[in-house]
Amino acid sequence: MHHSYRQHTVLRGVDLRLRPGTLAGIVGENGAGKTTLLKILSGELRPDRGSVLHHGRFGYCPQSVVLDDSFTVRQHLELFKNAFGLADLGRGEEVMEALAFTEYLDQRAGLLSGGSRQKLNLTLALMHDPDVLLLDEPYQGFDWETYLRFWELATRLRDAGRSILVVSHLAYDIDRLDLLWRLESGRLHLQERRTEAAS
Amino acid sequence: MRRHWSLFTTASRYALIGHARNRFAMLLVVVYIPVWIALAYLTIPDQPAPFRLRATGEVLSPPGNHLTQITGALNAVTLIAGFMMFAATFTGGRFDRRLAMAGYPRYHLVLAKLSALTLVCVAVATYATVAVGFGWPPRQPLLLAAALFCAALTYGALGVVFGSVLRREVEGMFAILMISILDVALQNPLSSSGSDSAVVQFLPTYGAVQAGMSAAFSDSPDVRGLVIQCLWLAGASAAAFLVFRRRTRNALAPRQKPWLPAPGRRGTAEKPRAPLPPAESGASAEAHGPT
Repeated sequence: MHHSYRQHTVLRGVDLRLRPGTLAGIVGENGAGKTTLLKILSGELRPDRGSVLHHGRFGYCPQSVVLDDSFTVRQHLELFKNAFGLADLGRGEEVMEALAFTEYLDQRAGLLSGGSRQKLNLTLALMHDPDVLLLDEPYQGFDWETYLRFWELATRLRDAGRSILVVSHLAYDIDRLDLLWRLESGRLHLQERRTEAAS
Repeated sequence: MRRHWSLFTTASRYALIGHARNRFAMLLVVVYIPVWIALAYLTIPDQPAPFRLRATGEVLSPPGNHLTQITGALNAVTLIAGFMMFAATFTGGRFDRRLAMAGYPRYHLVLAKLSALTLVCVAVATYATVAVGFGWPPRQPLLLAAALFCAALTYGALGVVFGSVLRREVEGMFAILMISILDVALQNPLSSSGSDSAVVQFLPTYGAVQAGMSAAFSDSPDVRGLVIQCLWLAGASAAAFLVFRRRTRNALAPRQKPWLPAPGRRGTAEKPRAPLPPAESGASAEAHGPT
């Protein structure tokens, strides 16, 4: 994939393949093009050159929380249940339980704390049990316990054969990843996870 | 067919919930319309203000304050509908896109928005007609309500367009306000002699003003005015639909997006669900995090 914003080239030939049952990460400095890459992968943005092919359902958790502040948590779930064509909310409730979030079901999104809004943002990406999960800075605003729960959730999903791509500007928790790329100068560079931890 | 209906009614219900929770718009509807109409009635002199209605050629001579009430009512309903739809589209744009990308059919979403707008405009136009009727009886109240309704709907659709294409909230507010001021002021026989100019025929509420004036002060129905307004409405709605469609488009290949999400087809996966950890187990997990 290649992409530029006017004269500013962000991606200069990014090529990546995510196999089933892989928990992968992409790190890079601010402005390296991580969010642009994820927007292209999710279909939000058309690349100048290149193409994206998904196998199976995919879920996308955007970096900035995308909710409607006038709806309650339950109303969000109901709307996305219709969007995904789900028969029930079973999976969404499981995700909420895993993130310890069920008590806020009837709370309006506009009244939730930053961390709780991010939990709902993540739940909407996960509630249809996607085969491929694209997460852009998914744990921002999480407290420590929720942060741990998030990684446990991601690991379980990977173990069940789902593909997960986490994009972050921080290179923490790389031991949990099967693959790690660094996005630099518009290209992906495969990283050695252990040595990267030291750096 | 039931699935289409269910998606449409669900989206319509949520669009109405969104409008109902826009407290400022609700306050404007309840307070601004009657206050505007009452102040026009009380403060403008009631001397006759003769003018020729372009649509029928009739020379009408209503009291000046009655005339201002009609233009004031048109101004109030168009501003409220325009602002409401601009605010809903501007703040909900990214959410609509996320819903559409998740599989919610865009036709159902946009039709639901237009249906909710229609209901809001029916309520606002009826309310404004009743408020005018407190001072004096308009000759054809139903036609007056229809004119107010069509004008409000046109500005509502323009609000969707501005909410989709403009980047900053203040830009949209000013755009709607400026258009409304030009639109209503140039057509008001009291404030401008320009109402006899051919230019006014191309203003967004020309048809509604002609139909409204005729409904308020004449016994001859001006259906032509309503037809002209409906043309503006059709144009504004088409533009609203196109910009909404463009804004919620999916850049991935179309074959990957089913047109209609069927319950159980995608959600109950072919693969078994991945078991998720219970809430209390998270804290015990080993982690290397940003401490």
